[in-house]
Amino acid sequence: MGHESRQGTQSEQSGRGDGPAHGALWKRACHQCDLLLTRAHAPVGQRLICPRCGATLHRNMDRSVAHTAALSLSGLLLFVPSATLPLLEFSLFSFGAENTLINGVQSLFGAGYIWLASLVLFCSVVAPLGKFLLLAFISWGSAWARMAKPVARALRWYHHLQEWGMLDVYMLGILVALVKMSDLGKMSVEPGLYCFVAMMVVSSAATVSFDAETVWARIARHRADAGKAGVGNGAEAEGAQ
Amino acid sequence: MNRPARALSQGFWTCLGCRNLVRAPQADSCLCPRCGARMHGRVDGSIMLTWALTITGALLLIPANVLPVMTVIYLGSGDPSTIVGGTLELYHAGLWGIALIVFVASIAVPVMKLVGLVILCLIVQRRWDVSPRQAMRIYRVVNAIGRWSLLDLFMISILVALVDMGAIAEVAAGAGSTAFATVVVVTMLAVRAFDPRLVWDVYEEKVTAASAHAEGNSHGENG
Repeated sequence: MGHESRQGTQSEQSGRGDGPAHGALWKRACHQCDLLLTRAHAPVGQRLICPRCGATLHRNMDRSVAHTAALSLSGLLLFVPSATLPLLEFSLFSFGAENTLINGVQSLFGAGYIWLASLVLFCSVVAPLGKFLLLAFISWGSAWARMAKPVARALRWYHHLQEWGMLDVYMLGILVALVKMSDLGKMSVEPGLYCFVAMMVVSSAATVSFDAETVWARIARHRADAGKAGVGNGAEAEGAQ
Repeated sequence: MNRPARALSQGFWTCLGCRNLVRAPQADSCLCPRCGARMHGRVDGSIMLTWALTITGALLLIPANVLPVMTVIYLGSGDPSTIVGGTLELYHAGLWGIALIVFVASIAVPVMKLVGLVILCLIVQRRWDVSPRQAMRIYRVVNAIGRWSLLDLFMISILVALVDMGAIAEVAAGAGSTAFATVVVVTMLAVRAFDPRLVWDVYEEKVTAASAHAEGNSHGENG
């Protein structure tokens, strides 16, 4: 068995050296310029960059799944204080008002700006929370073969949701509001803002550390294992493919 | 001439959901065997959709700039301000750093995005003579800057909650903010609808035509 598998990798390597002579050797196409490549994955800790258009095709972070699991969990924990505690406080004479992630949306909604309110709610609360939940589900769930289907669906959702999480833009909005209103009254930073900044950093770190290819490889391995166990020894060659 | 191999002409499709390489079926579209998303050789109706969303965005940019986005009422008085007016106010108040941030995020970025999308569509449709690397640079810039225009809207939502003291001071949103929010969403969708691989398809065609032409010349058959 060992001899056979070694032969398999040898022929693959020599094929890679031969260049793009056989159609079966193509492993990936650049999603931005459609260039066919003979490699699908970058080595650990490196990036695979399209030689023609320069798009990043794959970033193989070391221990991607473990880091993503940890980061998404801490993001979920940080979400609780940053959504409930006030971020800023504005005081004028003896009056004061606080701002949380939700109450700005509530005010807009109350004033009749339903579309604007739902967009702000989606980009600053729903999408970041959804991202953390999906990443946590993907990185913990991909350990079980049974979860392959829901994990695949979660990966697809994550792909769509990813660009709508805008904590960093919201952060800049807070800064602009802080400076803009400072001449009118007294602005002060509340504890919720520190949690919010931490959540923003964790969110970016989770996005960077997450690598969908690693999860897909895990799912493929589970499927291969299941096939092996189900059909027995006869299907071993097929499962290894 | 050794030309790089393109997936579509070799009979491969790439799933845009999970970037899986799949052998192209006979049908017009299929489901990705790995992630289950519907996939095509190129994004279906990409140029048409991009045009539609870009034109929508450009039209909505008019009410977004004409109508007021926000009103700061201080001690009972306050003028509604438009996006440009708000930026100028910040500049005159001496906060030119913040004025620059707001200017870039809510004026420069939407305009640049619309212009970039129009250029990209024309490169593909009218075969403009722009190198594909240049076109990709435009695409990536347009893709990266899009989300930052929501800055102004987030700021409004923060201020509306924060400055809410009845008669003394109040911040109210204006109708222009709804139009502006739609501009941002529509242009983000337009960038998603655009398929950058079409740029390379056009380029490939041009190179093929040029090399055929050169070959004809060298044979002495072309006048």
